[in-house]
Amino acid sequence: MTDIIPLANSAAPASQPCKLHPQSMCPAFGSLRILTRIEGSHPVMATDTGCLYGLTFVTHFYGASKSIVAPQLGTAELMSGQVVEGTRAAIDVAAKEPGVRLIPVVSLCVAETAGMPEELLPRKIGDAEVVLVRVPAYAIHSHPEAKDIAVAALLNRLADREGAVREKSVVLLGEVFPADPLLIDSVLRRMGVTETIFLPGRSLDDFRRAGRAGALAPLHPFYKESMNVARTWGMPVVGGAPVGISGTYAWLKSLGSILGLDPALVQQVADEERAKATALVADRPLNGKVMVTGYEGTELAYARMLVEAGADVPYVSTSIGQDPLVLPDELWLKAHGTKEVIYRKALEEDIAAIDRYHPDLVFGTTPLASAAKERGIPAMYFTNQLASRPFFLTGGMAATIEFVAGVLTKGDRYRWMQAFFAE
Amino acid sequence: MPPVVIRDLSDTSGYWAAIWTMCPMPDVHVICDAPVGCFNLVGTAVPDYTDAIPHIENLTPATMTEQEVGGKGTADKVKWTYDNLAATGVLADKQVIVVSTAESEMIGSDHSSLVRQLGVGTRFYYSNSLAEDEWAGRDRVLRWLWSEYGAPHAGAIVTVPTAVNIIGPTYGCFNAPSELAEITRMIEGAGGTINMVYPYATTLSETPRLAAGAVNVVLYKEFGTGLANELGKPMLFAPFGMQDSVAFVRQLGQLLGTSDQAEAFIRTEKRTTLQAVWDLWRGPQGDWFGTLDIGIVAGLSHAEGLAHYLGDELGMKVAFASARPRRLGDYDNEGIRQHIHKRAPSFIFGTMNERIYLRESGAKYTNFIPAGFPGPGVRRAVGTPYMGYRGCVYLVQEIMNRLYDGLLNFLPVDGAYANQRNATPPAPAGDSNLGNLSWSSDARAMLDKELEKLPYLPRISASRQLQMTIEGIARQRNATEVTSELVELGLAQYRQS
Repeated sequence: MTDIIPLANSAAPASQPCKLHPQSMCPAFGSLRILTRIEGSHPVMATDTGCLYGLTFVTHFYGASKSIVAPQLGTAELMSGQVVEGTRAAIDVAAKEPGVRLIPVVSLCVAETAGMPEELLPRKIGDAEVVLVRVPAYAIHSHPEAKDIAVAALLNRLADREGAVREKSVVLLGEVFPADPLLIDSVLRRMGVTETIFLPGRSLDDFRRAGRAGALAPLHPFYKESMNVARTWGMPVVGGAPVGISGTYAWLKSLGSILGLDPALVQQVADEERAKATALVADRPLNGKVMVTGYEGTELAYARMLVEAGADVPYVSTSIGQDPLVLPDELWLKAHGTKEVIYRKALEEDIAAIDRYHPDLVFGTTPLASAAKERGIPAMYFTNQLASRPFFLTGGMAATIEFVAGVLTKGDRYRWMQAFFAE
Repeated sequence: MPPVVIRDLSDTSGYWAAIWTMCPMPDVHVICDAPVGCFNLVGTAVPDYTDAIPHIENLTPATMTEQEVGGKGTADKVKWTYDNLAATGVLADKQVIVVSTAESEMIGSDHSSLVRQLGVGTRFYYSNSLAEDEWAGRDRVLRWLWSEYGAPHAGAIVTVPTAVNIIGPTYGCFNAPSELAEITRMIEGAGGTINMVYPYATTLSETPRLAAGAVNVVLYKEFGTGLANELGKPMLFAPFGMQDSVAFVRQLGQLLGTSDQAEAFIRTEKRTTLQAVWDLWRGPQGDWFGTLDIGIVAGLSHAEGLAHYLGDELGMKVAFASARPRRLGDYDNEGIRQHIHKRAPSFIFGTMNERIYLRESGAKYTNFIPAGFPGPGVRRAVGTPYMGYRGCVYLVQEIMNRLYDGLLNFLPVDGAYANQRNATPPAPAGDSNLGNLSWSSDARAMLDKELEKLPYLPRISASRQLQMTIEGIARQRNATEVTSELVELGLAQYRQS
């Protein structure tokens, strides 16, 4: 009998499985989540009924308790070119809501295919701005990227560019846990920042104020279009994010230098934060092999923090595409033991990785987490459990690490449950 | 015709109907001709909340991107998906069905020829998603499954005299496990045996065996009669309420030739299961029934059934009942929303949409009880039926416990504890009694109008709380009389509390 000669290095998988089951929420959901949460915003959705049902379902669960109107777009309307007419009628209905200030028109697959000419929509109705947000799922691919498209559309329309730039103010871009802005604001003010604006939030005025800020700092790596908007204004962009030990240190220094803050003060605050974070990790290091595989577009940053805290993270995957914005995190991870970073991932790749790396803990999409639990491995839905906690600076790091450390001790329960149902 | 504007759509499309009807059968694998969103929403995001399952495992998208939409068409992608799925081995012993979506229909994809090049038996189902809703859709899928996989192989199958089919549920049917358990129990109580539960608890390959059923019980009026008609056997709808439950068992006994057993079951149920309704009726609880008004938004069966049982049999006032699909004259969501904003009933049996309208109107005294989709809920326990005998008991039990819950929230608690928590200074001694301030007639009328909107039960306590709030504001401002402006401030504060 002849030994089979392996064709590939065993560290890298011989062949990646086919991407059969892509993992993302419906991309358009990302924009709806942001747009329904803004006070005074009453969205109109232009789409077919199946899409409308599914997206309003998840938006009413994960976004806001906000009524949503839509033109009826069936065969008759789509084929006879009544998309715009119907959309205008829906805009008129939305315009009657109390306190309406914004009517985002969320244009989805079938409406985009049929054609939704922006020039035929009103720009304003009464006091409300009408803003077209084009998010066909076939072209956007992931819901984090649809958040970016919504934010960029609002900045383009609403940002107030009149008057002097408020030099020591900064726009922080990305949906974060409610405690994070307080933490970040207090640290930045100690460095001399005079004003922080967190987007996207509940306030439409924050989008207006953003136009005169001194810099834009995306906290998540998928706000490409929004960054382009800032660049056309000549507004500097701060790279990286205040995550973990090294990431936070570098980010504070970079932000300080871009805003022209007192270097000594910035150095002092950056040193303090680094000392605090280092002490935290020294005090409570993580121990275990963790897979970080959500679809929120923030997975690489989480992985980086967990590695700094002592965890072994061999495999990271995300729904967003490869991009220069994520490259620094990818390089950092690869230099610190991560073997694979997968973009636009599919369920097959993540499941194969579970069987390849035998992790102690898996954060992933619901189908992946259930596959891990079927193997008796502790697993959780990244979106609900990890992406919904404080994350930034030392305070966020403490909360996230403590949570992960807690789950890592629960292996017995997962094994017991698996064994019980395997009988 | 002027364009139709939809508010918070409550019925999904023929595509969802196809996936939710085909995929409960484990020997089916569906390839959906879909962008990633149509795969995610129907296969993972929503069934997490409607059916409490991690995801639908036998569903794969032929993920459509700009290329396919922009002129290339989806045939290559469907073939690629089929071939690669087959290579993983998951299609062994499966019947593969390619299903269209709104977007694939939009770009004119028709794979009825393509499927012949794929594995033997692969079929294409045009879901007509741009025109058909989920009810017509489910009805048509069931007929299609019978004509493709059942009827051609059913010739030799003999009808079994006491065998009963249950048609429905599919995925995405409200309260399905409990309704199914109760109807199964009643069929067996009447002397029947369950032949098939289609498609929820069977396989596609067993489809021809539908012909063995002597009677078809259609679980939901909103879909399934098409299949029952084609099967050509007597048909019954699953019952709600006491009288219809009796009639259902009696008719079933007559149809199956098991009348003695059915009549015995009817007598026993009245003395056992339904005894709880009789006890509550005779007790103080029954006195409340006639004071309650209810709004109902649900699938056709649940809407009619709840209105009949709670309204006609127990005497509650049905403020509105809107079925899905809507009957002539039923409120659409716009009408429901306006009704709730104007005057919310004391109970709403409804969906997530009604919860939104209740929150918009600040109607915190209305009890919300889920009765349909959309809306997240775990309903996997089989002890919470709305249908049948046990449904009668479960519904009054649920209503009474909500009333108790409301009462417990209204009983006064000593104000000192609230003051301690909020660290607000107590009102000056001697000036804290209600009624020390005079009210202008405008102010009094405004308060009365507000109270009038509340359900009867909480009105008394709310009246006291509101007066205290308003007079508290008046005292802070050293007002000698309560004016309508002060009432307005008080109402705003009260709604936020």
